[in-house]
Amino acid sequence: MGKMVNAYIVAYNSLQSVLWAISFALIVNELLGSSYKTVNQNVGPVLRTAQVLSVLETAHAALGLVRSSVGTNLLQWVARTHVLVMVVYYIPEVQEHVAVTVMYTAWALAEIVRYPWYACSTAGVCPDWLTWLRYTAFIPLYPVGTLGEIVLVYLALPIVKERSLYSFTMPNLFNFGFDYYTFLIGALCIYPFGWWSLYSYMLKSRNRKYGQKKQE
Amino acid sequence: MKLTLLSRSGREVAEFDIADDATVDDLQAQIQRLSKEKKLKGIKTDLYPARQRLSIPAVEEKAKPVVLTVGKALSAFGLKTGDKLTLKDLGTQIGYQTVFFWEYFGPMVIFPMFLVFRKQIYGADFEPSETQLLATAYWMFHYFKRIVETYTVHSFSHATMPIFNLFRNSGYYWGFAAMVAYFICHPFYTSPPLERVYAGLAAALLMQVCNLTTHINLASLRAPGMKGYQIPRGFGFNFITCANYTFEIYGWFCFNIATQSVMGVVFMCCGAGQMVIWAGQKHARLRKLFDGKDGKEKYPRRFVILPPFI
Repeated sequence: MGKMVNAYIVAYNSLQSVLWAISFALIVNELLGSSYKTVNQNVGPVLRTAQVLSVLETAHAALGLVRSSVGTNLLQWVARTHVLVMVVYYIPEVQEHVAVTVMYTAWALAEIVRYPWYACSTAGVCPDWLTWLRYTAFIPLYPVGTLGEIVLVYLALPIVKERSLYSFTMPNLFNFGFDYYTFLIGALCIYPFGWWSLYSYMLKSRNRKYGQKKQE
Repeated sequence: MKLTLLSRSGREVAEFDIADDATVDDLQAQIQRLSKEKKLKGIKTDLYPARQRLSIPAVEEKAKPVVLTVGKALSAFGLKTGDKLTLKDLGTQIGYQTVFFWEYFGPMVIFPMFLVFRKQIYGADFEPSETQLLATAYWMFHYFKRIVETYTVHSFSHATMPIFNLFRNSGYYWGFAAMVAYFICHPFYTSPPLERVYAGLAAALLMQVCNLTTHINLASLRAPGMKGYQIPRGFGFNFITCANYTFEIYGWFCFNIATQSVMGVVFMCCGAGQMVIWAGQKHARLRKLFDGKDGKEKYPRRFVILPPFI
């Protein structure tokens, strides 16, 4: 049972590593070839597949296959997938913005470190330099990625308002209403806090890993 | 006897003498005194008894630490000179009744505010419908009942809890009160047929009466001074372990039948989810405790919380 689970986790993380590596290669290809404006068009399908698929990580945590928090996993997945699908995919006006390229690049770079690290450390063959990268690469990449998300949500605001996108108005028999524009503003207010709680958590675990050695 | 206090990470906090016939209460008082005299290493606050959690560290790998309970003598735990105790600071404590009062007072006041300040909140003045007024009255009554129960019915097995719980619980109750009220007090609120509103709210009221009955029953389960778990019996409890939760959930179900709103249903589901978890734990505890062995009673076959399902 334990072996099967391990094999599955290694396989899953390997698959994700490959998907994100392809995404990164496609980004580089776009930047070298034409311009950043076509990044979403050509990288989007693969990157979205990888990101949507990563909902499995919440399932892994819920089933106890990996030791991580279900809530944190789900929240991260929802936040990223929301920007990727509800904002970038469905709002053509923001697709050519440079923030898309910045966000995709930061995500891809972070993931081509994180997934191989998971795969290797589950398999028990993790080189030290990969562990070091896993605990270091996020320091610049995570803020840049989040900044990209925030900029894209901000850019989407006037378009969402103009089209009353995803809004559900009363009166109706459910006695419920939803205003996506207000939701986005609320999300923008919460973003810095959510970001900081996760970032400081990661910094702390980095300190646990590398900080103490110097003291001892 | 001489005892050593350790922090949770195993660091030595203090070493001191205490009378051999001292109780846990005496020990806690002494620790508080030491904390006031700044004689506990790494502890700067006044460590009053409710903030202290004292336990005897587990000797073996898988064994659990033994928690010292107030009212007992130290000798009852087999403590002798040279023994070590782990001290955990539980943080600032706050009374159960205080927490309950604030978490229930909020919803009672917040809900009607949406009608009182409807012009400011919805940007339009309108005459509240009968359903909106009745729903608001029911909501206020519900939380008024909870406050009254807090001071007259409930007995608490702990006096205090960490102050963080006050903010967490209040966030939950106040937040949901505002979200449910926003939609039910909305100018575009669509009322179900009035007969259903009357019937639903009447049924919900009946559930509140049943819930009150179960709370009175639970409070009288232990005679004064009695400790430990008892098997609840009587109205509802003969079939269901947590009949009090059953009536609470049914009550919100009836409220939702009467008022028909998505947010009300979400609120009910969140509450029910938490209560199902608690009920499952209590059911398991009672079944384990009353296993029918060594002259102990066997816990009867009962639903956990929501007949006819679980």
